[in-house]
Amino acid sequence: MTALRITVGELYPELMSTYGDRGNVETILHRCGWRGIAADVIQLRPGDRIRPGEVDLIIIGSGGEAEQALVASDLAEIKGPGIREAVEQGAAALAVGTGFELFGHFCQPGDGPGLPGVGLFDAWTVRRHAAVGGHYDTITEARADRAIGDVLIRWGDTLLVGFENHSGRTYLGPTAQPLGKVIRGYGNCGDGFEGVLLRSAVGTHLRGPCLPKNPQLADFLIGAAVARRNGEARLQPLSDGLEDAAHQGAIQRARQAARGPDRRLALPVLHRPVSGRVPRRPVARAFSARRGSAIRQHRRPVGED
Amino acid sequence: MCRMFASRVPGPATMRRAFAVSSGKAMRGGLRRLGLGNGTNLPGAAALAIDPATLSGLAAQIPNGSVLVTGTNGKGTTCRMLAEVMLAAGMHPILNHEGSNQISGLTTTLLTRSGLSGRLPADERAIGLFEVDEGSLPAILPQIARPRAVVITNLFRDQLDRYFEPSFVIGMLERMLRKLPVETTLVLNADDPRLAHIAADLKNPRQYFGVADSEQSRAGADPSSDSPRCPRCGGDLSYRSVFYAHLGLWSCSRCGLRRPAPQVEATKVELLGPVSSRLQLSTPVGATVLEVPFPGLYNAYNALAATAAAIACQIPESACSAIQRCRPGSFRMERIMVAGHDIYLVLAKNANGFTEVLRALLADGQPKRLLLGLNDYPGKQPDTSWIWDADFNSLCGLVPAAVLSGNRSADLAVRLKYADWLGAGAATELVVEPNPVRAFRLALEGMPAGDPLWVVSTSVVLSQLRSWLRRYGYAGQPWREQPGGAS
Repeated sequence: MTALRITVGELYPELMSTYGDRGNVETILHRCGWRGIAADVIQLRPGDRIRPGEVDLIIIGSGGEAEQALVASDLAEIKGPGIREAVEQGAAALAVGTGFELFGHFCQPGDGPGLPGVGLFDAWTVRRHAAVGGHYDTITEARADRAIGDVLIRWGDTLLVGFENHSGRTYLGPTAQPLGKVIRGYGNCGDGFEGVLLRSAVGTHLRGPCLPKNPQLADFLIGAAVARRNGEARLQPLSDGLEDAAHQGAIQRARQAARGPDRRLALPVLHRPVSGRVPRRPVARAFSARRGSAIRQHRRPVGED
Repeated sequence: MCRMFASRVPGPATMRRAFAVSSGKAMRGGLRRLGLGNGTNLPGAAALAIDPATLSGLAAQIPNGSVLVTGTNGKGTTCRMLAEVMLAAGMHPILNHEGSNQISGLTTTLLTRSGLSGRLPADERAIGLFEVDEGSLPAILPQIARPRAVVITNLFRDQLDRYFEPSFVIGMLERMLRKLPVETTLVLNADDPRLAHIAADLKNPRQYFGVADSEQSRAGADPSSDSPRCPRCGGDLSYRSVFYAHLGLWSCSRCGLRRPAPQVEATKVELLGPVSSRLQLSTPVGATVLEVPFPGLYNAYNALAATAAAIACQIPESACSAIQRCRPGSFRMERIMVAGHDIYLVLAKNANGFTEVLRALLADGQPKRLLLGLNDYPGKQPDTSWIWDADFNSLCGLVPAAVLSGNRSADLAVRLKYADWLGAGAATELVVEPNPVRAFRLALEGMPAGDPLWVVSTSVVLSQLRSWLRRYGYAGQPWREQPGGAS
């Protein structure tokens, strides 16, 4: 058997890595290493192009909103074509948080200038205000516009755990397939779905290190990358005792958060739009005009099991 | 008769304050007597609910104004050092030494000192010294009459589930600083590019502190660094030296903006193992040597901040000798003796804190036994993903045995697994035990007599551990400890 090898393209390792995103790259590299798969990392910074044949797994993490604005046009114009082609050819991808938002058609920070997207996913993101633009005087104000808390989603026959902390709402177009159903948390835009799955490309609001506690998702990406490079996809199982314990702990926490006395604080506080009415071309109107009232209501979990 | 008492009869406003203060005091007494915690927050919250102007009313009575210390890391230690300096200069600092640094905590500190009538005892040497949570500064700053100086120690990413991103906090701080009176001195970290030129157009005097010892320079930006951009033009920053995280000798490669020359600068830093450090200082009042009684570069920065603040308050004379006398605050390298072992309790609650604390402990290359703790605060700060930004990788191999504790110890175990702590060659013996007390016992069990144990953790594990130790008489009551030994 020849040695397996994959190449990971890490996008903007400094700029788009505010939320502990390094954990995702570490997880991929270690899980490859334990299986004897050689994984090389190419770090792609502003100005660097992506050669689609070169990368088997593209990772973009979640930067702050300022960093998101900084990389948007570089990502869309210089790297965009390479990313789209690589995924078309079967490369895996993981786009998290503000990076995920940029993998859609566009991202519109309320009153700020719109950011161009890669257009890989048929999705777009809107947020009420740019947090850094000086709209909020206090944390409480800014908090009311964000979905913050533990998330539990059903992905195929398994559960994914994670943490969300976003003010952007992502709406999926007709051709996009969500990654999973929300059991706890807010998800894309409060419509009961979370993330996007396109071939082997995953976009998600599960911020920061979502792979360490979801080893199945990590192995899904590795498997796709290995299959693309080496034509075989069978991964040797690893002993995941610690990972599974953390995964189970997160499931318990997400379920308790919704039941316990801290329910009001633990659950995201964004309101959900009226069901069935997904705005075609979303504008700021999609948000509740008054914070306070509607926003404080809880979304009823969809896909409750 | 009526006229005789006229001056003593309180008006409606002060009566309300008196009611607020006395309710707060009663509540504090009650909470403590019932053993429901230290009563460092709720009494203030109750007083503020009765009279929202409690804090501003009490703070206005402090004759020498107040110094506010904020920032991500080191504000508590900086305050303790500055308190020593103030005491040595004959002033009487009113410090929220119990660590409650939001608006209700500050209010509690003041109402505790105040009489039932809502008046602070007349003391012409009193000066306010407040550690302020960076997120609470917008609520607190307008209520503090006569701010003498605002000290900002540093700004790192921290509690992203509470503060979101650092640029959001910077924007909020900047808007607050614009509301300050023009004579308030800004004491700023010159090595932090986001802070050095904060609100650059303000006319307020600025007192900078920084490090200039290239021997402390690290290879490059830390993984926990935020890689900030130039605050003026957004360009790339280049560093002649990086000291830790994104602190260093920086300049903008596009517009030429650079680190301001600090008035208080450490020209040489000697880190003396896990206990202390020695700094060669250049200050406006001459060159001097400062012995810092705490380890690590991060504490050297705290000592610099305290010295710069002392100069801003025009009490530089005894600064160095006073800082030398400073004792650690609760959980800041706090030492407790248990069964022949020195137990050090060290608080670390964000990526930079954890990284720097561990580096300071392990810098001497001697293997150490650790108890590492990680807790979340359900409903308040549920996010612990910052552990992935802490640099555990460079420390693997230096820890023969570690016990992991806290309700998120499972997450910490995964983190250490992916930092190769379990790998061949490093092989740390890891035990996961969420209960802090049981974890502590486990850690002590296999330890050779006389060896020290370092407990590095977020605060919940530490408080649970200490209240257990206190019950068995090993530890004192934290709220009795105050700089200068005054109670």
